[in-house]
Parts: sequence; C-alpha cells; structure tokens
Amino acid sequence: MSLVLPGQHVAAQHVNLKLGPGLLQTSGDASTSAPPIIATRAGTLKHNANGSKWWVENNSLRYVPAAQESVIGVIIQKAGEGFRVDIGSAQAASLDGLAFEGATKRNKPNLKIGSLVYARVSLAHKDMEPELECFDAQTRKSEGFGELKGGFMVRCSLAMCRQLLDSKHFLLPMLGARFPLETAIGVNGRVWVNAKDVREVIGIARCIEAVDPNGGGMDEAGIANLLRNLGL
Amino acid sequence: MALTRRGGREIDESRPLKVVLDGLARVDGSARFGFGDTVALASVSGPIEVRLAAENPSLSTFEVLIRPLSNVPATQSKSLAATIRAALIPSLILSQNPRTLIQLVIQSLSPTRTKSYDTLVAAMINASTVALLNAGSIPMKGVVCAVAVGRINPVLVVDPGEEEEAVLEASGCFAFSFGDGLDDARCVWTNWKSARSFDERELAQCKLLASAAAKSVWLHIQNVVGGDASEEEEDEMETS
Repeated sequence: MSLVLPGQHVAAQHVNLKLGPGLLQTSGDASTSAPPIIATRAGTLKHNANGSKWWVENNSLRYVPAAQESVIGVIIQKAGEGFRVDIGSAQAASLDGLAFEGATKRNKPNLKIGSLVYARVSLAHKDMEPELECFDAQTRKSEGFGELKGGFMVRCSLAMCRQLLDSKHFLLPMLGARFPLETAIGVNGRVWVNAKDVREVIGIARCIEAVDPNGGGMDEAGIANLLRNLGL
Repeated sequence: MALTRRGGREIDESRPLKVVLDGLARVDGSARFGFGDTVALASVSGPIEVRLAAENPSLSTFEVLIRPLSNVPATQSKSLAATIRAALIPSLILSQNPRTLIQLVIQSLSPTRTKSYDTLVAAMINASTVALLNAGSIPMKGVVCAVAVGRINPVLVVDPGEEEEAVLEASGCFAFSFGDGLDDARCVWTNWKSARSFDERELAQCKLLASAAAKSVWLHIQNVVGGDASEEEEDEMETS
C-alpha cells in the first residue's frame, strides 16, 4: 500500500504488463531504455499477486465509462430505435432497442422516460458516446440486466459501489440477514435497492450513505447501532 | 540584515498551511487552502457535458472561473482566471476526455486590501490543485504548488503576510509543477514585478527561495491527500 500523486513514476515491470486506471505510459525520451510509467491521479497504488496488473485506487464522484462495466442509467430520451440514457458520465449513453433479451423488430421493450435500466457498457471510447446493452451478446440472455421496476436508486461515491460489489464487504450480508432485499449495483455511483417495506428501503439507503467513505465511512458496529435505532 | 516578521517566522518560512477538504455538494471535488488567514476555496467538476460552442474535438475544455470576495467577477478576475488556467494546464492531461468540460471555480475568501495580492493567487492555485486531486476523475501528470515571494528592501521573504504586503517593493507568485516527487520541480509560471528595476540574479534567487517553500506545500498536500492532516485542521479552521 503506497500513496502516489499525479506525475510520480511507478516501478511496474512485468513481461506482460497491464496498466489499469490511473496509470499512463509516457513516451519518454529515447535515451532511457524503458519509457516511464506515471500515475495520473492521486490514490493508492495497487497490483495483483504476480505484478502483471497495476492500477491506482481512489475515490471520485464522476463516472468515466469503461467497457464491460455494469451501470445503472436513467432513460432521458427515446431516439429512433433506441434510447438515450444518463449514466452520470460527460455524454449520455445510447442503448439500442434490440439490445434486450428476446427483443425483435416487432417486440421491443417500451421504456418510459425516467425509468431505470441496469445495463453493461458495451462500447467506451473517448471519442465516441458510450453504448450500453442489456443482454449478453453471446448467449442473448439478460443475465440480470434490463429495466429496474419499483425500488429506489441511491447515489454514492464510486469507491462505495466497488466496495458493495466485493462479496467480502459486510454491509449487504448484514442487511440480508435481517430482511430480504434486492440490489443492483452500478459502478457509476448508483445503487438500486428494493425491499418489501418502505422502511426497509429507507434503512438500506441510510446505511449506504453512512458507510460511504465520502460521507462518514461508518464501520460494522456503527451500522448495527444505526439499524437498531431505525428499528430494523 | 535582520528582519523581524510577525509570529517570529524566518524569511524563508511560510505561514501555517491549512487545507480542508470541504466536500461541497453538487461538485466532484473541492478544497480550501490557506496560507494563514489568506484563504481560497476551489471546486472542480469534470469531465462533464460541454456547451457546443466551447467543445474541443481533441481535448477537454478547461474552464476557470474566479469569484472575488465581494462584487461580481470583473476584468481583474477574468485576467487572474486566465493566468491560473495557464499555470495549471501543463499539469493536466486534457486529451484523455475529448469533448468534455472540466470546470474549476475558485472563490476568494480573503479581501485584497493592497495592490499586490500574490499570496492570494498562490492560495488559489494550491486550492485548485487540491480540488483537482480530490475530484480524482481528472487525469493529471503533475502537481502544481505555488508560493508568493516579496521583497522588503533588501530582504526577500517567502509568503508575505497582510501587513507585509503593504510595504513590499517587489513581489510575485511562483508556481511549480512537481512531477516525480520532490526533486522534479519545474517553474511553470511567475509574475515577479518590482517598483524599481530588478536583475536576473534576483529572479533566480527568488525562484530558489520559492521552490524550497513550494516543496513544503507539496509535502503538506501529500499528507492531506493521504488522509492524515485534514481532520485535525478542520477544527482549527472552524475556530479561527
């Protein structure tokens, strides 16, 4: 665990080196053998066990799309065959009307403006607007993607989303032990939750906000206390 | 020549640095930076959607807005915004998010009582840097730290305070971009100006003095980003 600031050189070496978010290989000058790798954001430098994959872990509020990431979007416009979806990035993403399980020319999902979709980023390029899909392109099955009906969307920081995706994180198992709930976690800082009772939904939202490293970073004992106060 | 400064600080010593990460709502990153009582607040949003007129097909648009303590932004603020933008741009990687906007808003929290307000400019630049680091969504290749230097005849002093600014003969702000650690500092901007003439030797001397002080700013920023100093200083700022 080491802190890096933008511009600092990173001694990442591997025959099959992969640089993740927050790292950049500079062109460097020809005199030195290997072009230096610099950090492009402030955060914690991390790498996998064999040192082939390196990245900088940090927290932020603004989502920048990357391919194959699961996101939660809001339909903002119907555009011809598809939809324009707000996923919190600089440009709205486009979601094709046929990119759903079982969708055909005749039978397309009828999503209303303002409805939520859980989708995967299928194309993310800095020069093009991001594209989404709600099915697996190989199997054509939805795999859990699609419209999110009912429930409630909570906004949180990007680090919080990634923590919730970690199966070892305490929050969701803890809530799940108390009452049944449904969640869909987008890595764009949005979490959709649903439970039987509105009180429970509010409780989940409160817990996510409290655990968020940007807004308190409450620990397991604190959450147990909070849930007791909420009567859940 | 002996010069006694308020608070008993050395000529190459800046006032206590205060950095607070405010967490302003509705922006992606924000920070307050102060040299003693000279404080500036900066907030950053980006990459966000850009107006069609300001869209750049190969780079993100970097917009700097400065709000003075009183009144609406006028020519002085616009000119200052342009210089701060120029000082920060070399440390940003704008090509990674083309056709987007990075918006930096700087709010001055200290009055400008005298003609020279280089300390405030330095605080603004440092606040912007910390806000950019705090946002975490804007790729950068360096950390810009700025320090003001003044001359109270004939002594050069770092970070002139409020009452010192009134008697300055020459002053300027020096911004350094730190790449790979402390020793990789490059002067990216200065506005050294003097009532009398000044020579190259003096400018070099100022730069040396400023770069040493900028290093302590960098170290402080590193501590704050690492999450050490922010909490304790928050209380300090509230009480003052």
